[in-house]
Amino acid sequence: MSPILAISGLSKQFGGVTALAGVDLTIEEGEILGVVGPNGSGKTTLFNVVTGVHRPSGGTVLFRGHDITGLKPHAISRAGIGYTFQQAMAFAGLGVLENVRIAGEHVGTGGTANPWPTPQALLDFVGLSAVTNEKAGVLPFGSLRLLGLALALATRPSLLLLDEPAAGLNDRETTALVGLVRQLPGHGISVCVIDHDMKLMQMLCRRLAVLDFGSKIADGPTETVLADPKVLEVYLGGDL
Amino acid sequence: MKDGLHQDRAGSTFKALRSLLPVLVILALIALVPLFSPSNRFLSLAISAGINVIALYGLSVLFGQTGILSMGHAALVGVGAYAAAILARDFGVGFWAALPAAALASAAFAMIVGIPSLRVGGHHFVIMTFAFGQLLAIVLTNGGDYTGAATGLDLAGPVTLFGADMSDLTRYYLMVVAFVTAAAVASWAIINSSYGRTLRAIRENEKLAASLGINVGRHKIGAFVVSGVFAGISGVLLAYFLGHISPSQFSSFPSIYLALMVMIGGARLIEGPLAGGILVAFLPEVLNLDPVQSRIVYGVCLIAVIMLLPDGLIGGIVRALRAVLSGKPKQETEQRNAAEARR
Ligand SMILES: Nc1ncnc2c1ncn2[C@@H]1O[C@H](COP(=O)(O)OP(=O)(O)OP(=O)(O)O)[C@@H](O)[C@H]1O
Ligand SMILES: [Mg+2]
Repeated sequence: MSPILAISGLSKQFGGVTALAGVDLTIEEGEILGVVGPNGSGKTTLFNVVTGVHRPSGGTVLFRGHDITGLKPHAISRAGIGYTFQQAMAFAGLGVLENVRIAGEHVGTGGTANPWPTPQALLDFVGLSAVTNEKAGVLPFGSLRLLGLALALATRPSLLLLDEPAAGLNDRETTALVGLVRQLPGHGISVCVIDHDMKLMQMLCRRLAVLDFGSKIADGPTETVLADPKVLEVYLGGDL
Repeated sequence: MKDGLHQDRAGSTFKALRSLLPVLVILALIALVPLFSPSNRFLSLAISAGINVIALYGLSVLFGQTGILSMGHAALVGVGAYAAAILARDFGVGFWAALPAAALASAAFAMIVGIPSLRVGGHHFVIMTFAFGQLLAIVLTNGGDYTGAATGLDLAGPVTLFGADMSDLTRYYLMVVAFVTAAAVASWAIINSSYGRTLRAIRENEKLAASLGINVGRHKIGAFVVSGVFAGISGVLLAYFLGHISPSQFSSFPSIYLALMVMIGGARLIEGPLAGGILVAFLPEVLNLDPVQSRIVYGVCLIAVIMLLPDGLIGGIVRALRAVLSGKPKQETEQRNAAEARR
């Protein structure tokens, strides 16, 4: 099967800092790919460059065979790539329902068939139906993360990029999140997820890519990658 | 599921309509004022206030919904006013035909100002709009005979509606009330549309909005252009009311006053522009203040509003009322939420 996303030679410099040093990475249709790496290794930057938040310094990004390198964030979203931020975000001053409604009103040509026909159905799916009428700003942190996920899903992506979706969640919430993310490929949504929690990654991903200092140092089946001496070295003394 | 959706839609439409009702009632009462044979001075003051309120409804879309503050808004009103005066002088264009033309001119000017200004983004936008406002005043002052230079332009055309002469003060008053009503309804329709939601999303979080497919830059310029349409119409009404316009009417002070009015009234609520426009127009009259004193009072009001009432005077009153009327149950839910969060 052809990859849904094909990244080649992607690089990003911030002044003198090389955040990405020529990364090649593919995401296959229907998979949940994990991206790990130490703090500052360039994981978020990888997402930011793919989603148009930052312009790449070099390299190309092909989404379903189309070159989307350097497109603006709204255009990337409309092409069918959804993403959630490392800092959980929602429109704090607006109602939960209005949040989701907004997110569903700018679906582009890249949108998939819609598994959740109404904002309410989507809120049911992520388990937020009880807070439909609340203001997003008053939600507890875990619910805010789920709302962020609902917003990204409302754009009907065929590829979803999740940047540390479980950070700050308790065990119960993390389990719920795993359950949700696992269902996504069944709805036609491929997933790429960044997280530091290796247990979570083992539960979610069959394949793992590892970044270190902006370069990809490993890419393969999760167990193989986690046993790779190079990877172990990077994480020495870490939480592996 | 389907039924639930319909109920939800119907419910929100009903809620939206209910939010418009107070404004319509107030405006209906305002339209009855001539029955009490008010003085000409009162009518003139009310007409000026109403003309401002029309521009304020545009400003509320820009500031209240989109979160962008224009400090050069009087310039957009000025473009409308000058467009009306020049069209009348050079092409014999009357009041009604001037309305769409002036709205277009102000919208175009907003776009010209907006594209470079919004690109620099953030607080710089405020400074850019201020600078463009000053620039327009300078251009008008140095425009020779075409703009009438510092003396400005006269506009003596009659305003007729279905053959009736509207220049009479009471009739002009009623016409302005009608225009204010239209502006309020237009602003209400924007607020309650998908477009309004898009603007609020931008106000709340531009980065998130962009990630959800919203073209933030284009919509910010669009909101500025929309506010220009309101300003242009306000300008035509002003030019025909005064019969004479000059650059100083559209420079920095009037711009600051407009920003102040919308902030004092509350930019996010449909009652806000109306309240702000009326309050700022009539406060010096009621308190019997001279211009210097009234500027001081406005300054103090503005600081107080910014510090104490982020959603304006009306917002504050509404919040206080809600707290009084339903304080208990609200507090309970908040406590329940907190308990939920702790678990
Ligand atoms: N906007 C920016 N401006 C300057 N430098 C940046 C910017 N964003 C990231 N960097 C730098 O790029 C490098 C990679 O950062 P990035 O946020 O991609 O790391 P990360 O792998 O996501 O880390 P973490 O696990 O802590 O989230 C870091 O050195 C960081 O300081
Ligand atoms: Mg990161």
